[in-house]
Amino acid sequence: MDDGNFGHGEYTGDGKALFWLALRTGLLTLLTLGIYRFWGKTRIRRYIWSSGRLEGSRFEYTGTGLEKFLGFLLAVVFLAVYLGLIQILLFWFGMTLFAEPQSPEQALAQGAGVSLSAVALLPFIFFAIYRARRYKMARTRWRGIRFGMEKAAWGYAVRALGYWALTLLSLGLLTPLMTFRLEKYMADRSWFGTARFEQQGTWTALYGCMRQIFVALALLACGGLGIALGKVVLPVLLLPVGAVWLVIGVISYRVQSFAYLSRNKMLGGKVAFHAHPRTQTVIGTYVVGALLLGLGLSVATGIFGGIAAFALSGLDFESLEPGFHPGMIPPVLITAAGYLLTLIAARAGALALITQPILRHYVTTVTVINLPALAQIRQRAADTGADAEGFADALDIGGAI
Amino acid sequence: MQGAAHLYDGHSAARHPVEVALSRERQALVITGEGLAAPLVWPLQDLRALHDHADDGQLILTRHLETEDESLRDTARLVVEDAEMVAWLRRTRPRLARRDLREGTWRRIGLRAGGALAAVLLMIFVILPALAGTLSRLIPVEKEIAFGRGVKAQIERVFGATEAGALDCSAPDGTAALERMVARLTEGQEIGYPLEISVIDHKMMNAFAVPGGQIVVMRGLLEGAGDPDMVAAVLAHEIGHVVHRDPTRNALRTAGSVGLLGLLFGDFTGGAATVLLAERMISASYSQEAEAEADTYAVEMLRSAGLPPSALGDMFERFREEYGDVEGAMAHFASHPRLSDRIAAAGAAASGDSPHRPSLAPEEWRALQNICDIRANTRDAG
Repeated sequence: MDDGNFGHGEYTGDGKALFWLALRTGLLTLLTLGIYRFWGKTRIRRYIWSSGRLEGSRFEYTGTGLEKFLGFLLAVVFLAVYLGLIQILLFWFGMTLFAEPQSPEQALAQGAGVSLSAVALLPFIFFAIYRARRYKMARTRWRGIRFGMEKAAWGYAVRALGYWALTLLSLGLLTPLMTFRLEKYMADRSWFGTARFEQQGTWTALYGCMRQIFVALALLACGGLGIALGKVVLPVLLLPVGAVWLVIGVISYRVQSFAYLSRNKMLGGKVAFHAHPRTQTVIGTYVVGALLLGLGLSVATGIFGGIAAFALSGLDFESLEPGFHPGMIPPVLITAAGYLLTLIAARAGALALITQPILRHYVTTVTVINLPALAQIRQRAADTGADAEGFADALDIGGAI
Repeated sequence: MQGAAHLYDGHSAARHPVEVALSRERQALVITGEGLAAPLVWPLQDLRALHDHADDGQLILTRHLETEDESLRDTARLVVEDAEMVAWLRRTRPRLARRDLREGTWRRIGLRAGGALAAVLLMIFVILPALAGTLSRLIPVEKEIAFGRGVKAQIERVFGATEAGALDCSAPDGTAALERMVARLTEGQEIGYPLEISVIDHKMMNAFAVPGGQIVVMRGLLEGAGDPDMVAAVLAHEIGHVVHRDPTRNALRTAGSVGLLGLLFGDFTGGAATVLLAERMISASYSQEAEAEADTYAVEMLRSAGLPPSALGDMFERFREEYGDVEGAMAHFASHPRLSDRIAAAGAAASGDSPHRPSLAPEEWRALQNICDIRANTRDAG
């Protein structure tokens, strides 16, 4: 099929190299009290982007740690004021409205009042999601040509709020509408050089991707009916199966809706895409990666736990007077260091064992159709990148990479 | 040094096969190819490579150039895969790995960091405390009391109670003695809350105020106090917190600053621990001030009730004997001022105690110390 007209995505990233890179940057992040995370993220992205290859040309990530750091500082000024005020006011409302949490329900209500701050942040979160994708696009190049996205983050935030409300009101039935329209909003504002992407297709077609979710819901409904009719065996079988099926269904929807939306994108009216990621491969990769990671971590924590136990073995805490004892420093330090190192290693491991293999699957199942048309595309102007993901970083959005 | 490579010219997405050679003066790379209108000349000193590249067999070169781009780099890329040329470049061009900063970068970092720091400090040390003070006065008293009950229940759970009030001590004679002591202290005083004082059955030598005028005394304090006046002094101190609305103010201020600090330290490893530590330092600096004010209030209250203010200093002496003082760097993390400072302050205020009537008669004092003989949940059985 590779006759010059088609190009298949390739991914050459190596698990070991990525693990060590993530471990090194994670340690530096710890040593710098979190400041290095901007540079660490940049380096990991450079590695991952350059692992992707299409038609012999590797992708390039041109973002810098410095611009991310500066963008974060900018976001801090806005969010510090906004978040501080929102938190204190909501806590005050929680206190005056739902005081006396003597029953668990009331405590829950008070908790809900406090967690309203998350809702107050929602517009910022959607804003940050669009901004982060725009920044990633603006810092991605292929054959020296910039990708890019238009400035439309607030428009996205308003639409996202509306479609989320619709989806919640319809009890999830309008999820395909939300998925399709929000992706179309972003895709139609995306560019590769002088060529614009266009999202084609229809939102109703995404119902096909929800098939497994409907099967799971039917199983759960049958189980529920069984309980209502007083049967025992049927629900015991159906309910757990339905629950697992629902998880699989949600993953399947995410994978297959991504595939459908990719297949229906056009670049510059000439270049088309084909994508056929397999849900079972994604789930299988995840399960295998998680098992390997769990195994590796339990060996590592076993070793660390042994060292900590050895250091602690000379101490008798019962007979100690309260206060400060120099003998307690080494075990406390070892425990704290072990905890932090385990966290860093877990993140690096998850990146190398789960994120990268899944990404590899997505990249290698994409085909670009009509490659010669790409050569006609010209460079686009540089984008300043605005806050360079500062809001997304401050709000902890963005996932593994 | 000569070989084949590929060039992306930075203007179109075309891939140009090119020939690369050293210029005659050996000062630049000369790039020639069919797709190029004229040969490109890249001075060797300006050559830069892309970092963290996934393919070790490949070197992607670009050029240091003053641009408006995110980094000072030419948009053109030269992909070198010829092993000999890659090795030569790596060996002879140490500047390949150089990072070039735009002029004024440090000034920009300084300005942004200063601005962000100023905004955060202003919020934590000025705006949030002021707002907490205002908001704490706007809460209806009955809501504050209800909120305080919830807080008290949570604290009791920490000390091992299975349900709210399970640890409350309620021997009738002891309760009566406690009431008499409180009545003597608060006579003619404007508290602003209905005081509700309870003793819980725990060996710790401590007492604290929760929002809404509730004060909790722990059994250990009654046993550790040398005389009833010391207990009265501690009560006067806690009443000082109540009058100043410290517990409510503190809860509000903490709610605001924890959200803000979480944002600042972010999602990195150990971030949650850093947030807790930072919040501890901030609240310590506040509560030390609040403690000093409550001490001053207590001295006044003891004096107007005809009790010796020196009892406060005596009680601190007992705390120091029991738990030691916090010294050095740790003093900044402690929520209370150093005991030696407080003993000195209380001693200065207490100079010239006159003879007085103790806050409780000996038999009343015994009853108060034994108040935990009967607990709330055992009252029916006992």
